[in-house]
Amino acid sequence: MLILEAKTNPKNYWKAIWQRRSLLFYVTRRDLTVRYKQTLVGVSWVLIRPILTMLIFSLLFGSIAKLDSSGLPYGFVVFAGIVPWFLFANLFGETSNSLIANSTMVTKVNCPRLIFPISTLVVGLVDFSLGFILLLGMMVWYSVPIQWEIICFPIFILSAAMLAIGLGLIAATLNARYRDFQQLIPFVLQLGIYLSPVGYLNQLVPKKWEMLYSLNPIAGIINGFRWSLAPNVIAPFWPGLIYAVVISIAMLYLGIKVFRAAEDNFSDTI
Amino acid sequence: MSQIAIRVENLSKLYVIKHGSGAGSLKELAEHYRRLITRKFIPNFKQGQKDPFEVTTEEFWALRDVSFEIPKGDKIGIMGLNGAGKSTLLKIISQITKPTEGRIVIHGRISSLLEMGSGFHGELSGRENIFLNGALLGMGRTEIIRKFDEIVAFSEIEQFIDTPLKRYSSGMQARLGFSVAAHLEPDILLLDEVLAVGDVPFAKKCLIKMEAISNSGATVIFVNHGIDAIKQFCKHAIVLEKGRLILDTHDVDEAIRLYLGEST
Repeated sequence: MLILEAKTNPKNYWKAIWQRRSLLFYVTRRDLTVRYKQTLVGVSWVLIRPILTMLIFSLLFGSIAKLDSSGLPYGFVVFAGIVPWFLFANLFGETSNSLIANSTMVTKVNCPRLIFPISTLVVGLVDFSLGFILLLGMMVWYSVPIQWEIICFPIFILSAAMLAIGLGLIAATLNARYRDFQQLIPFVLQLGIYLSPVGYLNQLVPKKWEMLYSLNPIAGIINGFRWSLAPNVIAPFWPGLIYAVVISIAMLYLGIKVFRAAEDNFSDTI
Repeated sequence: MSQIAIRVENLSKLYVIKHGSGAGSLKELAEHYRRLITRKFIPNFKQGQKDPFEVTTEEFWALRDVSFEIPKGDKIGIMGLNGAGKSTLLKIISQITKPTEGRIVIHGRISSLLEMGSGFHGELSGRENIFLNGALLGMGRTEIIRKFDEIVAFSEIEQFIDTPLKRYSSGMQARLGFSVAAHLEPDILLLDEVLAVGDVPFAKKCLIKMEAISNSGATVIFVNHGIDAIKQFCKHAIVLEKGRLILDTHDVDEAIRLYLGEST
């Protein structure tokens, strides 16, 4: 027996999502397969975008501006920033858009709305894995030694994902009401790539600005990720790293809270 | 064991329509607050002028105090003009939106089809769409695999099953959508305007299928503007007008007369 009232809070929220796992599976499969349908190079687009970004950043920051790369190949430094940045940017963008993109389902079918952001997470992690394999290939190519610290890289990747999903859930909630965020987020991400240490190393930021710079959690995430790959060369800025992980967890928690509080009204507001 | 499939008790749904900043963009909302603050600190600032960004709200009761019961195995038709509250009622029963007041008690697994082929994606093949749509309507993976051949056979589009959906005609898409929904095994099946598409033979086939679903013991709730289908299929009808229930009867012809009388 099921009772529908104004105030019925489903206690089994996560169980309900688990029960609809077949839907999650097919939505994820749809998101993975439709992206590059009717394109010539297909799934290669996943790698073409980061590779082109790497080439341009290496040219600008490495060859022209001649920024310091602590003896590492500049292309590798940039790509080690691009891989976590693209994970963050794709997840944030896609999550914030996930309700609008699935609005016909949101308004016509009863299903846990969190399925759509979760699906974007899976897609983002698949893209990340391809980029990461390429990055490992670069390490072999440039003979950057792989050290035990590499086991720490999932911490920073998970942080990037949690931060992106958390912010994305808040943005998706706002987006259902104010479409401004659909315009704003791509712009923020466009600027964010320069504000974050993607094209350069964190060390380049003057010491007195270090704390301020680290307020951007992506700075800590990229710094930590590079450190796990090249611990001999990259110095970790510990306060920034810890701050980034804590903020990411807090953002994910906050994002889920906000999303759930608004979830019942999505079908009316979207 | 209860003999009631759905009991609707004093159900109301309020929509608050916002005019001004609430409906628009962030810019308008920000402008509204800027003016509020300005007025607070400068008491005589543009007094008496109407704030174009002011939020005004208008209340709209899509449903007002609606009560009725649907016994198990019933075939009920819901009628009413556009804006009578049919879709709101179905959305509440389908758990897409919540009631403002009152409650609904549901006994049994409910499947609702408010739109033909919800979640269909043009780039996916018919086959992939069957799985996605089936999962969306609440079927498990194994259940879909088990019924897959039946679904395809019913839709009569075997030949195009691996063609992207965007190459289908709208009639073909509707066939596929109905076929998936018709192979759910719910205790309660809720259908909104589903026979509005597709050709006459297929609509006939759908009615026969619904009859079979009903004969297997399921309760069928049916919304349709086409009087013929309701006349032929339903044994029970309710008529809504401006959010209120104005008739609940087993004399379907009476309900149709009232509905037609309303429209003229």
